[in-house]
Formats: sequence, C-alpha cells, structure tokens
Amino acid sequence: MAPRDPEAVEVRIKIGGPAGFGIKAAGQTLARLFSRAGYETFDLTEYPSLIKGGHNNYHLRISSEEIFSHVEPVDILVALDRDTVALHLDELTEGAAIIYDPNDFDIGEVAGVPDTACAVPVPLKEIVYEAGGIPIMRNVAALGAVLGHIGFPLDYLTRSIEQQFAHKAPEIAEQNVACASAGYEHARDHECAFPYDMQPRDRDGERILVDGNEAAGLAALAAGMGLYCAYPMTPASSLLHFFAKHAEKHDIVVKHTEDEIAAMNMVVGGAFGGTRSMCATSGGGFSLMVEAFGLAGVSESAVVVGLFTRPGPATGMPTWTEQSDLRFAIHASQGEFPRVVLAPGDREDAFHLTWQAFNLADVLQTPVIILGDTYLSDNRQSIPPFDTSRVEIDRGEIITEGEVEGYARYRVTDSGVSPRAIPGVKGAEQIVNSYEHDEHGYGAQGEDAGVRIAQNEKRMRKMDLARTLVPPPAYYGPDDADLSVLLFGSTKMPVREAAKWLEREDISINIMQVVTVWPFPAEEVSEFLGRARRTAIIEGNFTGQLQSLVREHCLTDVDHTLHRHDGRPFSPEQVRGFIKEVLG
Amino acid sequence: MPEVKEYTTPHKPTWCPGCGNFGMWEALKRALSQLDLDFNEFSVVWGIGCHGNGADFLRTQGFHALHGRSLPVASALSLTRPDLKVIVEMGDGDGYGLGMGHFIHSVRRNIDMTCIAHNNQIYGLTTGQASPTTEHLMRTVSTPGGVLEEPVNPLGLALAQGATFVARGFAGDIPHLTELYKQAIGHEGFALIDVFQPCVTWNKLNTFSWFRERVYNLEDEGHDPSDRRAAFELSLTTFHEMTCTPDECRVPIGVFYRDDEVPTYNEDATGAGDPGYHKATKPRDISDLIAAFG
Repeated sequence: MAPRDPEAVEVRIKIGGPAGFGIKAAGQTLARLFSRAGYETFDLTEYPSLIKGGHNNYHLRISSEEIFSHVEPVDILVALDRDTVALHLDELTEGAAIIYDPNDFDIGEVAGVPDTACAVPVPLKEIVYEAGGIPIMRNVAALGAVLGHIGFPLDYLTRSIEQQFAHKAPEIAEQNVACASAGYEHARDHECAFPYDMQPRDRDGERILVDGNEAAGLAALAAGMGLYCAYPMTPASSLLHFFAKHAEKHDIVVKHTEDEIAAMNMVVGGAFGGTRSMCATSGGGFSLMVEAFGLAGVSESAVVVGLFTRPGPATGMPTWTEQSDLRFAIHASQGEFPRVVLAPGDREDAFHLTWQAFNLADVLQTPVIILGDTYLSDNRQSIPPFDTSRVEIDRGEIITEGEVEGYARYRVTDSGVSPRAIPGVKGAEQIVNSYEHDEHGYGAQGEDAGVRIAQNEKRMRKMDLARTLVPPPAYYGPDDADLSVLLFGSTKMPVREAAKWLEREDISINIMQVVTVWPFPAEEVSEFLGRARRTAIIEGNFTGQLQSLVREHCLTDVDHTLHRHDGRPFSPEQVRGFIKEVLG
Repeated sequence: MPEVKEYTTPHKPTWCPGCGNFGMWEALKRALSQLDLDFNEFSVVWGIGCHGNGADFLRTQGFHALHGRSLPVASALSLTRPDLKVIVEMGDGDGYGLGMGHFIHSVRRNIDMTCIAHNNQIYGLTTGQASPTTEHLMRTVSTPGGVLEEPVNPLGLALAQGATFVARGFAGDIPHLTELYKQAIGHEGFALIDVFQPCVTWNKLNTFSWFRERVYNLEDEGHDPSDRRAAFELSLTTFHEMTCTPDECRVPIGVFYRDDEVPTYNEDATGAGDPGYHKATKPRDISDLIAAFG
C-alpha cells in the first residue's frame, strides 16, 4: 500500500458498478467539487468495451498536496453492485468505508470483507424513488453519501448540481439536490467515523480539470488547426467529440470519415491547401493510415497525427493502456523519410507539445506524431490553467504572390526545406507528388538516379534540422541519485509520484523523460546514463522498445528494467517496489 | 483566357499511341480554357494508374495522390479551399477498386468537386489484369478463365447514393466530352463523369471501334436528366453479354442525371466557408474554453 504523505490530507474514492450507470460522470462531478474546494485531484477510469453491464470503475485521488499520478488504495468504495465489493476488497485501506444500497445485496454475505471495513448502507433506490427522480440519480445520492461520510459541506455538491442542470427544467435540479441531501444524511447516521479531517481549504491559484485528449485538443485549437479528420477509435474518439463540439465557434472543418485511410489522406489534402490539419487514432487505425503517412513524408506535407496507444495487436484491449507502439511510430511506412515523434508524459506536455507539433510540421514540411496512450488520453488531473502566452505560430518558409519567379516546389536547398507556395498563388504551378519527383514535383524525371538522390538527400537533411528544433529530454530529480530512470510518455506520472515517496525514505532517483522519441536524443541519453550510479528503464510494453533504442543509438544498456503489458498503467506503488528491490 | 495549349507542361505524354487518355486530356484542357480558369484557380488531384501519369502533362497546382485515394485528398481540399475548383482524375481500378469506399461516401456527401473516371475496363499500368469494370467472362492475365464477377456499375451506384450530377463520356468524342466537363465543373456538388477511354494495349474487347458502333447521345434521344428513375434504368446498360452486337448493347453517353437544388456538403459544414490557412495566422483565443474546464 502507498505510504500516506504525513503532511497531506489525502482521500481515495472508488465508484464501481455496471456500465451505463453514469459512473464516470458522477466521479467527475466529485473531482470538480474537490478541485473547487482547494484540493488536487487525479482520476483513473477503468471500463470494458461495452455499453451496458460489465464492470466500470472510477478512482479519484484527492490530496491537499501536489500529486503526479493515481494510486492503488481506496478509502471509500461506492459499490453500485455486489461485484464491486468483491473485485476491490484488496484495495481497501484500514477503516475504509463501503457505501452501498442494502436493497441491492447483503454485505454480510460478501466473502472477505475485512472486519475493519466500515459498512455504510444507504438506500439509494428508495431515496431516488422518494425524490421522484430517475434511476441514474442513484449516483447523486451516492455522492451525497460520500460527502456525508467525510463530513464535507454538502453545499459544494448542491451548487455543482444546480450549475450542471441550470439549463434544464427546475424540478430536475430539485430532485438531484433532494437525492444528494438524503444520501448525505444517511451516511452521517452510522457508527464508524471518517478518520481524516477534510474540509474546504485555500489554495494558491486556479485549477482546471483536463485529460490528455482535452489538453491536446485545446492546443490544436490554439495553434490554428483548420481541419480535423478521424474515425472513432478508443482512446482517440473523445478528441473527435471535442473538436466536433467546438467546430462551429472556432470555424474548423471536422470530419468523421469512412475509415482511417480517408482520414489520413484528407489531412494530407488539407495540408496541401495550406490548412493546419490533424488526425488522431489508436494503433489499429494508424495501421490503416500508414501508407498515407508515408505519402505525407514524400509529398512533404505538414500533418499532425495523434497516435494514442492501447494494447494490441489487432483489436487488442480497446479501453486499456500500453506503450507498445513506440517502434511502430518511428518506423511506420515503407521507404525512408524524416518524421518527428513527440511523447507527452502528462497533460501539460500534451498541451505544449501539440501546438509545437504544428510548428514543427510546418517548418519541416513533414509529418509529426503525438505518441500518447489511454492512461493519458482518458484521465483527468487538476492542473494550473495552460499558459497560452507561450503558444506561437510558425508556418515555416512560405512563398507568396509576387515571389514566385523560378518557383520549384521541391527546390533542393541546404536545409532540405523547400520554401512552398500554397496552391492559389499565381504562377506557382506545382505537382505535390506521391511518386519520387523532380524539383517541380513532376514524376517523369523522378526515376532518374541523380534526381532521386538529390530529392531523397534533401528530405533526409530535414532530420538534421529537426534535431535542432525538437524539444529536448526533460529531467526530474537531483543530479546525483541512487538510481537514474529513463522513460517516455505517461510512465512519467507514476514514476514522479514514486520518486516523491522514495525521497521521504531517503532514496533518491532522477528521471530522464525522452520527450522527443524521434529523432532519438542519443547524446543526451548517453550522457544521462553515463553519469548515473545505476540505471533503469521503465516502459509499458513486453519487448523493451525504449531499451532497444538505447542499445541501438547509444551502444549501451541499463542495469534494470520494469515492464508492464496487462493493460494497466504502472502504479507508483509498483514503481516504488521495483526501485527498492533493485537497490536492495 | 488561357489558350488550350497553355495547359500543357514541357513533359510529353507517355501514353500509348491511340490511348483514350489523349482524348480526355484534350477535352479537359479545352473545358478549362473555355471556362477561363487560370492555373491558380483550379487544382487537379490524380490517383495512380495510366491516367495518373497525366499529372505530369497538365499545367496546374495539383496533387498526385496514392492509388485509390485521390477522393479523400480532394475532399479535404474542397472543404478547406472554397476559392479553388477541385477536379479529381481517377482510374477504374484506382477509383472503383481500392477507392470504392471513398467513392460511395464522396457521392453521398455531395462534396463540391468534379470526379472524372478514366474507365478503360482494365489495369493498364500494371499490364493487363482485370479491373472492377472489366466485362463479365473476359479473359485477362489475372483471370485466364474469364472474370467471374459482374462489373461495377458506377453510375448506378452513384445514383443510388443520391449523386447530384451523373454523366458518361467517351474519349472518342472530344467535343461532347468537353461540354460534359464544362457542365460538371459548373455544377455545385459532386459531379461524376465516367468516361470510356479504350486501352489500346490491353483491352482487345472494348476498343474504339467497339464503342463507336454502340455509343449514342442521350440528348439526341430526348432523355430528361431530371428523371432519376430513367437515369437509373439507363445505368443498367452497364451489364450486357460480352459478345453482344451493337444493336443489343447500346452505350448511352451524356448527362444521365442532374439536380442543382441539393445543398453541397461544403455549404453546411462548419469551417468550410473560408480558406483554412487564414485560421493559422495568429494563435486562436481559447481562454473561454480553458476557463470552462475550471
């Protein structure tokens, strides 16, 4: 179990039940409430790929201190069915409360409930019935019960409800408030006391609650994106919904295409027309996009592609997480061409790397991948609002009307970048081509050996330019540490959390997050590993893809590795255990 | 008005002597000239195939896309560049084989573009395999026992999906084809012109003389292009016996169906009213949106 921060007030709540009960929405209401009450929050949603039934759960970590990830333990379990109790028994902390409806099941008959657990029976269905509400309001009664058990002021919830239902008929808000109040009173009326004193607190600065997709979506809007194309695929679908919702106000074309092949080809077409264009998907969809991804490379099209990994291959585990597409992102497509792959580790990264991705794509005239995963895409954290003053737009070298004398779309240059004229500019005749081509884009001479070499070398020179432009690795922790951990992507979050815990145990670790995974920052990684006392790589895949890049590009290896490929993100508990074990 | 010859590039066509693509090339240049479209006012997107080699021969600001994928590239261009006339050139293998999904969906969206299909009923560039429009039972290198499938009926499919402009041309009648192109480019919405353009090297059945004996102009026979049912009936002339005589299988050319009242996808889609590059001149203000996450 995770050690509690002695300075912090920290409570972990889990809501579980069948799909279709509105569990995530209820959980997010709770997260918003505590964030507004001055706490930091981090949520983790687990759900199967179905609409009704199965088992969904939403875990919310609430803390008075800065937190970096989810944790495993549960202090309050809201069990909307009997399975929830049985499935999460081993996560319960000592004295943990189980809030449940005694009309659903008899908790005495669930095997293994510890004696120390505090059963909090709340007749959720009766409450809803008496309030004249609809079944889904059980959630609201349960949220009221959570606050009742904690002894937290109910008006934080009632205000949130009133706000949420302000645009609906007044009785809806009234019914919800009635459910919340009744749930609250029932939970006050039991024998076991809540062991922590948790009250609204003052906090410096505002917070927003965003997941990784929302962060990336906000950044793409800020960056002036004009076209988004996608085919629904978990965990990227919410980004499609986000853009669709805001398309009208922000004047963007959003297209749910017939398949991912169309999506990728469309964004290449959009980029050809000079529009900032993006698509996003998961591994299966990206597999379909691969040919057109190569088209973006050879045609030198500025496209941004979100690749949010879930466990593969094929359909795999649709709603779970993994970091197994690193090599896929780096190598996808036949032939060779320059590309940039950025791997955000948290929401802040997702925002800032996404607007930078549009600039890199434009300046380099080549595709840029944002490599994320379900853990980052799906889960919200309370963070300070994004600093939008950092957002810049750099469209690269553009030729405009009157500058077209001698224009050649694929002019061979020292940097490899050919200044481009967007179609429509008078006199800028050009063919943007999937075939190898000459400087003007014509394929007729593309098979000439000299032309091929000149164009291929020109494109690949952009990789040298990319190395000077891409975000460098990020470092966390002291220069001198017991263990140096190399990682990429969302694993940053639980490892930073574990590092914080280990520091209290006088174990120091430092972390290098490979932010730009391609071009691979071999020099920085070599230097980091070279000066370390001991080294480890933590990555969410079976084969050790980041490790293989280190072996390949740094001609070195690490002392220890930790892998995970069961669809779950690393937990800080697991990371802490691993580090303590390898350090003996 | 640019002259017809100005729409050529320094590259000499590499099509076989007598190839149907020459007639289509000539007709398009004439149509562009007569519509007075300057080289920066339209954009042509090609797929891969013999037709696609035409990307080197037509003066434009265009895109030579992947095999089967010209329509999505062109769709995006149409939706993000309302200031450009967008024209797709695709092949029968390219557009009705690999690209069939895109074809059907482009039709039902009524995206504003002109789609010219170079239908030679054979794979030319890959040396003579059966295409989706090859006649039933015709022998090719990939079907030595004869094609077992019925050919794709592109006009019928387009009509079934609510196409707003459906026409068929013949590469052997350049003046007629020029007029079809002009009408299609002038149509607001998705305009399909399926053009029979004989492959003189690989298709020994559907030759110029085969077509000349069979084609007739719909206008001459009083077809009403606003009659969708009649258009669909006509589209069924795609299917016939390989050995049919000119009397048994007549091939109609001209406008099968046209409806100019249907709104285009472009009119109703968000963000499609203004060139997309205008939107990335400075960072968008998203402060309200960020605040909504508080």
